[in-house]
Amino acid sequence: MNDLDRLRQILLEEDRRALAAAAQRLDVAESRQHGLADRLPQALEAVQSGAQRERFARAMAAPVATALGSAVRGNRHLIIDALFPIIGPTIRKAVGEAMRGLVADINQALESSFTLRGLAWRVEAWRSGVPYAEVVLKHTLAWQVDHLFLIERASGLVLHRASAPELPALDADAIAGMLTAIADFVSDSVGRDGGDTLESARVGEHVLWLIQGPRANLACFIRGVPGSALYARLQERLERIHAAIDAEGASDELVASVGADALDLTALTRDAATAEPRRRTAWWPLLLVILAVVAALAWHVLRDRSWETRMEALRTRLGAHPGFVLTALDDTRRPDVVVHGLLDPDAAPIEPLLAATRAAGGAPQLAVQGYLSTDDAIVLRRARRLLAPPDSVRLTVGGGVLGLDGVAAATGWRRPRLRAPMIAGVREVRLAVEAAASPAEFARAELEQLARQLPEIKGTFERGVAAAPDSEAFVDALAERLRGIEQQAATAGVEVTLVAVGCNDATGADRTNAGLREGRGAWLRAALIERGVPAALIRVAGDTDPAFQDRPLERSAYVHMELSSRP
Amino acid sequence: MIRATARKICMLGDFGVGKTSLVARYVHGTFSEKYLTTVGVKVDTCQVARPDGTDCKLVVWDMAGRNGVDALAASYLRGASGLLMVADGTRAATLRTALDLLMQARAVVPDAAAVLMLNKLDLIEHWEIEPLTVAELRNSLPVFETSALSGDGVVRAFAALTAKLPA
Ligand SMILES: Nc1nc2c(ncn2[C@@H]2O[C@H](COP(=O)(O)OP(=O)(O)OP(=O)(O)O)[C@@H](O)[C@H]2O)c(=O)[nH]1
Ligand SMILES: [Mg+2]
Repeated sequence: MNDLDRLRQILLEEDRRALAAAAQRLDVAESRQHGLADRLPQALEAVQSGAQRERFARAMAAPVATALGSAVRGNRHLIIDALFPIIGPTIRKAVGEAMRGLVADINQALESSFTLRGLAWRVEAWRSGVPYAEVVLKHTLAWQVDHLFLIERASGLVLHRASAPELPALDADAIAGMLTAIADFVSDSVGRDGGDTLESARVGEHVLWLIQGPRANLACFIRGVPGSALYARLQERLERIHAAIDAEGASDELVASVGADALDLTALTRDAATAEPRRRTAWWPLLLVILAVVAALAWHVLRDRSWETRMEALRTRLGAHPGFVLTALDDTRRPDVVVHGLLDPDAAPIEPLLAATRAAGGAPQLAVQGYLSTDDAIVLRRARRLLAPPDSVRLTVGGGVLGLDGVAAATGWRRPRLRAPMIAGVREVRLAVEAAASPAEFARAELEQLARQLPEIKGTFERGVAAAPDSEAFVDALAERLRGIEQQAATAGVEVTLVAVGCNDATGADRTNAGLREGRGAWLRAALIERGVPAALIRVAGDTDPAFQDRPLERSAYVHMELSSRP
Repeated sequence: MIRATARKICMLGDFGVGKTSLVARYVHGTFSEKYLTTVGVKVDTCQVARPDGTDCKLVVWDMAGRNGVDALAASYLRGASGLLMVADGTRAATLRTALDLLMQARAVVPDAAAVLMLNKLDLIEHWEIEPLTVAELRNSLPVFETSALSGDGVVRAFAALTAKLPA
């Protein structure tokens, strides 16, 4: 080794050593890294059982949760596969449990539904308003009184006790004392105004009833679900005991025997089990139902009756309607009615007759076919329609004989005369029509005809001059007939005078009657003038006028027409 | 009224004087150093022989420690035939409380027999109650120095009360 080498060694020794140390550290690190996979499980195990366990768990919680989250997102099926063996049975078990309960319920419902007993229970449920399930429960769940203590109210000491056989002995005095203390405590702390008391408690499968009386309480330990009948029986017994205690001169022996009797468990169970619940059966809903049914029936019958009468009335009215033949009245689809029949085109419409069914809420239908009626009234209408005779010709039909009389202008009368015998329903024609050659002659004949007809158009009075209800219509009709009379008189070459004649009935003083006649005639004249009859044409019949001495004895007024030759 | 065969006894006294311990000693023959204060009331029963040789059942109402008789305590006292007043010999104040309570209880159950127990006799060196006071007390009611820990005087006190109970 030369100096240079030595010098270099001296100069670089430090660096070289640092380099070697670094390389060695690198080696160690590398080798550590290399063995990590082998050592990691061991290290984790060590940490699990070591003192750092808690800290490790805390530190790992967050990354493990994150890892689980991403695993669920990324490898769902893997997780499901892994959990399946656990989740499957768990779900099956839960579902099975639920199904078992359901099946048991259904079984019970089916068993009880289709038996006589089940039916009776249903009736009971319906009558008492208790859900059916509750009734079934009440009957199917048995209960048993395990212990019954009669406890002196003040001291909490046991006066009498009874227990079901084959039960382990218990310290009745301690229990009664504790119960009394608890009841006192409950009343003192939560009872309002000292009025509320502890009445029941539930201990496992036992129900505890504490029935309180003024001098003694009954504590009853019951297994199962007791009905209200038991409670009522217990109350009765406690009342009986109190009656014995309070009875004057009651010996201790007597009271003791009453107490012992009251606590007889077998008798108590028998009583409560056979007795129906003390709930009063409500009969009035049934009564109401019956009443409703009866009322509905009565209403139905009444409605039926009234319907029948209505139909009968309709049938008669339809049967009496001229020009209509009723073949059937179909009311099977009540209140709708179908009327089958034959109707002459000249008959009056039958729709107004159906008003009765419409009033009963029905919708009447007509199934009507046409035919030709030989009814006199219809034949008359038909003849009027077909012949269209002038006013001066009067038509009558009787027994198929058509009568024609009056005056008609010779020119316009030929055709109707030929047609008359061909009208359906006319067997024979009796012709009494004067054929007037000139218009003057015809007009005069018409006026004479009118003069004959006028007295038949009368208005009747209620009393005094007050007009009768139909007077207006009668005056209208009268005015209609008198329309154009002046013209006609001119054509006929005659003078026309109208006389309004008032009449009266047989009763009344002469003076008043004279006034009435005058008044009624005046009223009729005024009414006609008001409707356009020239005032100059009409006068009121004078009371002394000899032409009107024999007026009809009735409260009426009419018009008399006088024709005279023109001067 | 039908008479119950058992007799009701009430333990009355200040907090922690040893009522529960005395009942445990008398009824079960046990003792515990642990202090579990009584809440409300604890009812126990035991059979005792009366001086006339008959057996009598006692229903012992171990009431929570208190320094006055309120409405609830009064309802607990009703029907009691005997009162076991308890005071702690190591605390003179509890004796005053016991006597107070006795007077108030008399208003509820005037005919009840009463016995006073001065408890924790095993700690006699720490007692605050003077022997003179005790002698004075004996003039008005039976007084027994007892120890629930050792059992001294307990049976005697209960027997004395039983003897005083109305037949
Ligand atoms: N040394 C001793 N300790 C007793 C004696 N009697 C009771 N103690 C102790 O005193 C404490 C209270 O006793 P308890 O019997 O619970 O007292 P208490 O009167 O029932 O108390 P409250 O129920 O709170 O009123 C307990 O720790 C008992 O161990 C006794 O005779 N000697
Ligand atoms: Mg206590």
